[in-house]
Amino acid sequence: MADVLEIEGLTAGYGPLRVLHDISFRVAEGERVGLVGLNGHGKTTLFRAISALVGWQSGSIRLLGAEIGGARSTGPGRKTPGIVRAGLAMAPQGDAIFPGLTVAQHLDCGAYTPLAWKERKRRREMVFDIFPPLRKLEHALVGRLSGGERRMVSVGRALMVEARLYLIDEPSLGLAPKISASVIEALFSLPQDGRAIVIAEQNVALLSGRVDRMVGMHAGRLRGDVGHVSLH
Amino acid sequence: MDLSVTLVHGLSLAAIYGLMAIGISLLWSSIGMINMAHGASFAVAGYAAWAASEAAKPLFLAAFGKTIAGTAAMAGLTLGTGALAGAMMGALIYLLAFLPIHDKPNFPVRSLIVTLALNLATVQVLLWWFGPRQKNLPKIFGTGKVEVLGISARYDQIGTIAATFLILGLVLLWLRVSRKGLEIRAMMQNPEGAVLSGISVRWTALPVTMLTGALAGLAAILLSQTIFVSPTSGAMPLIKGLTIALLGGLGSVPGAVLGAIIIGFLEAVIGAIPFLGQRYVLFGTFLFIIVVLILRPRGLGGLLDEARK
Repeated sequence: MADVLEIEGLTAGYGPLRVLHDISFRVAEGERVGLVGLNGHGKTTLFRAISALVGWQSGSIRLLGAEIGGARSTGPGRKTPGIVRAGLAMAPQGDAIFPGLTVAQHLDCGAYTPLAWKERKRRREMVFDIFPPLRKLEHALVGRLSGGERRMVSVGRALMVEARLYLIDEPSLGLAPKISASVIEALFSLPQDGRAIVIAEQNVALLSGRVDRMVGMHAGRLRGDVGHVSLH
Repeated sequence: MDLSVTLVHGLSLAAIYGLMAIGISLLWSSIGMINMAHGASFAVAGYAAWAASEAAKPLFLAAFGKTIAGTAAMAGLTLGTGALAGAMMGALIYLLAFLPIHDKPNFPVRSLIVTLALNLATVQVLLWWFGPRQKNLPKIFGTGKVEVLGISARYDQIGTIAATFLILGLVLLWLRVSRKGLEIRAMMQNPEGAVLSGISVRWTALPVTMLTGALAGLAAILLSQTIFVSPTSGAMPLIKGLTIALLGGLGSVPGAVLGAIIIGFLEAVIGAIPFLGQRYVLFGTFLFIIVVLILRPRGLGGLLDEARK
């Protein structure tokens, strides 16, 4: 299988702070990877580096063979829309929420790329199938939803686009155990045809047995495979 | 003082200030830029409309004579030229004050300085090109008075109020229903979430700067029904628009509307009180804004909606 994501010697941080140290990491097509590790050890920074949202970074990041990393003289966020169009979908930690939009408008924002925009109705239905509680909240303002519902909207927004690589950052953060289990469950109910998912999670128990492999992160370095658990 | 006259005067002032303040507020909330060149867009639009109306005057006089059709054609021409010139100034601001620096650190401060410089330069260019003499725009709503339900109002006041309601209504509707509007609102509410959705700041900023420039242009035409066009005529509307945007909570569109209405009426009332009069209008409004900002540093916004902090 071809690799969707290839990272070579990635170092990244914010201002004088170096968070990631010389990381190499590959994700194959259709693979489900759990990225585990304690808070503050760089999981979120790795995701943000891939999405071009960190302050600075060096090293190589390749998405579907195309270089998206490299030294960045431009500010954070400038390259992000291009990377999203190239096939990345990310649900950031603490939710990307537009409080003044309705759930339906919010999901439409996720289907921003021209191809996805045409299909947005069908994909909205798909997200509602994955997260059934959202269906009856279609026209509610996102700012008024509960934490669990917001998380579903945030993750659902990332699922609106036909991406090849999905990065989901801490889907269980701040949620009651039962709700976080259902969010994770919904993520794994996605059809696996060619789309790779990387889920960053502190709670290893939520992922174990459901991902193809787990990678540990400690003090800005990857700790190889934590366990090779295959579903197939 | 005559209450109804004050009421109409206040509402027409509120309309013009609202157009300016909403432009400033929209720009801040969507791309994080405080546009000090908004006054320059205002003045340039006034001059462009003046030049167009001067050029077209003999033509329209020959075609329509002194009829309503002639006034209407002139109104369309001046409003259209004003909006277009404002939009072009918006595009210029985008090219000079946004594109080169928008992803550098401290963009709000940098853009403030660049737009302030643009403002000063534009005023000097206008002064050099057109000279210091004030210009008079054609009366696009005609001259005269009308009395409805015992309230008497001048044509230009009614026209200003009606035009502003129409323009703002259209802008807010566009923001609500169009795809570009969804894009802009997403960017206003969560810039990082917007880029993660694939929305490019660089491409969203251009329509926003052009739209707000056009709003400033329309405000210039409407205000020039009562004052003259001059190189520095943009300064006062800029200051008013900025303070109203601050009062409304920078970035909040409903806040800017409410702020414009409050300040418009406050000015009309202070101007109409015999022992205060026009001299105390600025003093009174700024005192009011200072008191509000001391009590509520974030302005009126946040009471009404969630705005960029």
